[in-house]
Amino acid sequence: MTATAIAFDAPDLAAHLAQCTPEQLDTLDFGVIGFGADTQVTQYNAFESQAAGLSPQRVLGQPLFTNVAPCMNNFMVAQRFEDAHDERSVLDVTIDYVLTLRMRPVKVALRLLAAPDAATRYVLVQRQPR
Amino acid sequence: MTLDLAQLGAEHEALMQFLYLAPIGLVQADIHGEVAMMNPVAAQLLMPLSRNGGLDNLFVALEGVAPELRNLVAHHAEPSGKVCDGLHVYLSAGQDGKRVPQILALTLLKLDPGRMMAVIGDITEQVRRERRLRQNDAWLNAILAGVKDYALVSLDLHGRVSDWNPSIGRVTGFGPDIVGQPYTAFYPPDAMTLEHRHDRLREADANGWSLDEGRRCRADGSMYWGSALIAPLPDREPLPGESGGAAYCLILRDIGDQYGLAERRHDDAVRDHLTGLANRRALFEAAERELGRSSIAPRPTALLVIDADHFKAINDRHGHPGGDVVLRHLAGVLGESFREVDVIARIGGEEFAVLLPSTDLARALPVAERLRASVAAHPVMLAGQPVHYTVSTGIAIAHDGDGGIDRLLAQADRALYAAKRAGRNRVDHWRSELDAHAGRQQENADAA
Repeated sequence: MTATAIAFDAPDLAAHLAQCTPEQLDTLDFGVIGFGADTQVTQYNAFESQAAGLSPQRVLGQPLFTNVAPCMNNFMVAQRFEDAHDERSVLDVTIDYVLTLRMRPVKVALRLLAAPDAATRYVLVQRQPR
Repeated sequence: MTLDLAQLGAEHEALMQFLYLAPIGLVQADIHGEVAMMNPVAAQLLMPLSRNGGLDNLFVALEGVAPELRNLVAHHAEPSGKVCDGLHVYLSAGQDGKRVPQILALTLLKLDPGRMMAVIGDITEQVRRERRLRQNDAWLNAILAGVKDYALVSLDLHGRVSDWNPSIGRVTGFGPDIVGQPYTAFYPPDAMTLEHRHDRLREADANGWSLDEGRRCRADGSMYWGSALIAPLPDREPLPGESGGAAYCLILRDIGDQYGLAERRHDDAVRDHLTGLANRRALFEAAERELGRSSIAPRPTALLVIDADHFKAINDRHGHPGGDVVLRHLAGVLGESFREVDVIARIGGEEFAVLLPSTDLARALPVAERLRASVAAHPVMLAGQPVHYTVSTGIAIAHDGDGGIDRLLAQADRALYAAKRAGRNRVDHWRSELDAHAGRQQENADAA
């Protein structure tokens, strides 16, 4: 399996990402933020680090929705992970969103992935052509 | 050299993280609202308001909840300085206690003639605490403030004046023939429904007192500002053979002129800047009160949502100043069309709402229809030319307060879009079938 073959909208994406090494994640052309049940960031790939202007050292181990991406801390993103967790259901939705990458509002597509039996949840970020 | 660059890079990243983590929303925009920079909390607070999925323009993002911003900035003559300071922006009445922000505080700072900075915070909790304190203030104010005169009135179990004394004559000008009339005779006509009259008595029974402050009416029709305190009396059951003795005491206070200053201050918080009507906050507060009361004493409450048709075309053709003339004209027609007890508010750019206490669908429909016909018949003058415009109206009814203002507003909105879809210049009312279209309407919201 080669990491570069993984597309943003590929089916069953969480399972593929879970098998990737950090180096493989770094070759992807979309942002990958992986985090655990405690919302602490465990994976932060090169694409996302570059886009946000933050090095992985500043992000890994930090709580996602309060210290890394507070702009996702609302009912559109954070609440969905909480709801999926409470209902023990699979979350896989793609939504249009605006991120403030380097303080610029940027239109993106966010794919939110979570499953009851998976250790890692993902927020995936794809920039939209303007 | 490389060392300097590396140091600069590290400093830049630290600065970036500082802004990412700032616990308050910061936006830099040009004078037309086009966003240049924005930090994550600003996006977190504004993203749920975005109608088109973007945050390119601050005015557009806030249009639905703070339509006056564009005006405030346009009318700010100085090259720099504060345009508004801690303006309260009401997003929803939100009674479900979720952690969704309900009230934002917005400060707009003009940096230079071309740029401004917005500071946005979620103050939902803070306002809740302040409101509790304010209630205590109002209570103390009513007792202690510079009262010009007061009248002591006794009321029977049904709220009718049970005897006359000289203080009633002194303060209100009413003579002994007021005996037997309901105490609402001291209020302006249409200011209280029959149900409100009973609400106050019930509140007094439940809490030991009931207090309100507002315009009061003398026998000759002149107005003064007063507070009215109703308290139940002990031993109020009539003795056998005696009919309707005093059951409550009503203290009417003439607060008079000192009201002037407080009124102005209060107005800034609850009035719409452009039209002088109530704003979203005043509507939500009035609706929470009315629906809360009607859950105790069941009765229908009507909400009308009224939207100027093709308003974008008016704006495009006559500019924002022309659009403002139309909005003020519509506000004037609304003001003439409703009772004193009804609450008329501007809740969005060209969207108005009216809360009608104790009103069912059969009574709300003809009122809305009269309003529609009145707007269609009275053109507004723009640059010396009569311009005809129309309105569409959606009606929703809450029975015994069910669902609160958020649900009532959503239903009236759906009825409004049904009226728009059916060709505009129409009145429609919410029916359960309309909920099936709800998803589609959201997409079409901008096209309306």
